[in-house]
Amino acid sequence: MMSSKAHSSNNIANARRTVQQLRIEASIERIKVSKACADLMSYCSEHARSDPLLMGIPASDNPFKDKKPCTIL
Amino acid sequence: VQRSPLIPEMATQEVQLNETLAHLKTESETLKSKLEEERAKLHDVELHQVAEKVEGLGQFVMKTRRTLKGHGNKVLCMDWCKDKRRIVSSSQDGKVIVWDAFTTNKEHAVTMPCTWVMACAYAPSGCAVACGGLDNKCSVYPLSLDKNENLAAKKKSVAMHTNYLSACSFTNSDMQILTSSGDGTCALWDVESGQLLQSFHGHAADVLCLDLAPSETGNTFVSGGCDKKANVWDMRSGQCIQSFETHESDINSVRYYPSGDAFASGSDDATCRLYDLRADREVAIYSKESIIFGVSSVDFSLSGRLLFGGYNDYTINVWDVLKGTRVSILFGHENRVSTLRVSPDGTAFSTGSWDHTLRVCDDCYFFIGIKYNQNLCTFNFTPCAPDKPPLSLTATHLPKYSNLKKHIYRST
Repeated sequence: MMSSKAHSSNNIANARRTVQQLRIEASIERIKVSKACADLMSYCSEHARSDPLLMGIPASDNPFKDKKPCTIL
Repeated sequence: VQRSPLIPEMATQEVQLNETLAHLKTESETLKSKLEEERAKLHDVELHQVAEKVEGLGQFVMKTRRTLKGHGNKVLCMDWCKDKRRIVSSSQDGKVIVWDAFTTNKEHAVTMPCTWVMACAYAPSGCAVACGGLDNKCSVYPLSLDKNENLAAKKKSVAMHTNYLSACSFTNSDMQILTSSGDGTCALWDVESGQLLQSFHGHAADVLCLDLAPSETGNTFVSGGCDKKANVWDMRSGQCIQSFETHESDINSVRYYPSGDAFASGSDDATCRLYDLRADREVAIYSKESIIFGVSSVDFSLSGRLLFGGYNDYTINVWDVLKGTRVSILFGHENRVSTLRVSPDGTAFSTGSWDHTLRVCDDCYFFIGIKYNQNLCTFNFTPCAPDKPPLSLTATHLPKYSNLKKHIYRST
C-alpha cells in the first residue's frame, strides 16, 4: 500500500511531465493557416499531372486495366 | 481516507507537496489556454475557402480490378511492396499472405502462432515482411525464393510489447521497425538484434496507428490512439513535439500528406480530418450527415488531392482534400473495410475487408464525342469531365466505327 506521500510524488511527477510537454508544444513556431493552405494547394497543382488516380492514364500504361479500353453505354 | 500524520514534519511536507501539485495543475491549465490562443491567432481562414478558386473535380467512378480471395477470416491489414505489384495481407485467421496483385496468385503464406494478426508491413527491399497482433510481438519473416521452404523457420522476433501490436512499419531500410501497441506506447527496434532503440510515451490509451513522415522531411512520425489524440514524435529523442485532439472518438488511421507538411486521420467519429503541421492545427474536416459509421483507414493519392477512406459501413469514400467535398463512393465489399493503401506509383489502391477479401481498385471515367484522326488512324475521345485527359485509340481497340457516333463511352 502506497503512502499518501508516495501518491503525491507520483502525481507531481506526472503533473511535471504534463507541464514540460505543454511548454514544448506551446513554444513551437507556427505559420498562418492561409500560408499553410496555399502551400498544400500548390503541392497539389504541381503534382496533379503525375497523379494517375486523379488524371487517369492510358490503358496501355496501367497493368491493372484490360487492354480493351472502352465499352459503349 | 486522510491518515493524520504522527510526526509534525510529515504534515508540513504533505502540505508542501499538495501545494506544488496544485501549482503545477494551474500552470498546466494556463499553458493549455496559451496554446489554444496562439493557434487561434493564426487561424485566419479555412482550407476550403482558400481552395474556392481551384477547379472542381467532378465525379469519379471507381472500379474493382482484382479481388484477392484466400483468407479464411477477416482481413485486418495490408501493405504494398515497393515493386508496385506485390501485396502482403494479414488476417484474423492467423495467416499472413503475400500476393502478386497483377495475377492474383499467392506467392507466400505464413501461419502465425496467434489469431488476429492486426499488423503487417513489407520491407523496403521487398525481401521480408513484418507482422504481429495478439501475440504482443512484431516478427520479421525473410521471403524465400524457394516456394517449398518453410518461412516460419527463419522467423525473427523483433518487438515485444505488453499488449497487442496494432501497427508496424519499417523505416527507410530493412534494419529498423517502428511499432504501436495496445499498451499505449510506440517503439523503434533494431531488426537484427531485437534491441529497443527508442520508446515513445504520451498516449493515455491504446495506440492504434502510425505513419512515418516522407523521408525528405526528417525523422518524425505520427501516431493516433484511443485517447482521441494524434501525436507527432521526434524519432531520435522520443519527444512528442506536437499533439492534436479534435476527434471525438478513437483515431484508427493516420497518414502523411505527400509533402510531409500535413497528415490526415480517420476516426470512429465518422470523420476524416486534415492537420497542418506548420500551422499546428486542424485545417479541414471530411464528413457528411449521411456518413455515420467509423473510418478504419485513410490514404492520399500521389498529388495529395484525393483522400481515400475505408469505412465500417462497407464503403470507400473519396474526398477532394482541398474543397472538402466527396467525389466518389465505392461499393463492393460485403463487410467492413479494415485497411486501405494507395500503391507506391499511385495507379491503384487496395482495400482489405472483414468479408475475407482484398480488392485492387482504380477509377474509370466517361467520354462523350469522338473524332477520327485520319493522319494517325486514331479515334480521339473527349472526356465528360473537363479535367481529364482526352483518350486516343487505334481501331483494334474499338468496336466497329459505325456504332460509335453520338454515344457516351466508359473507359474500362
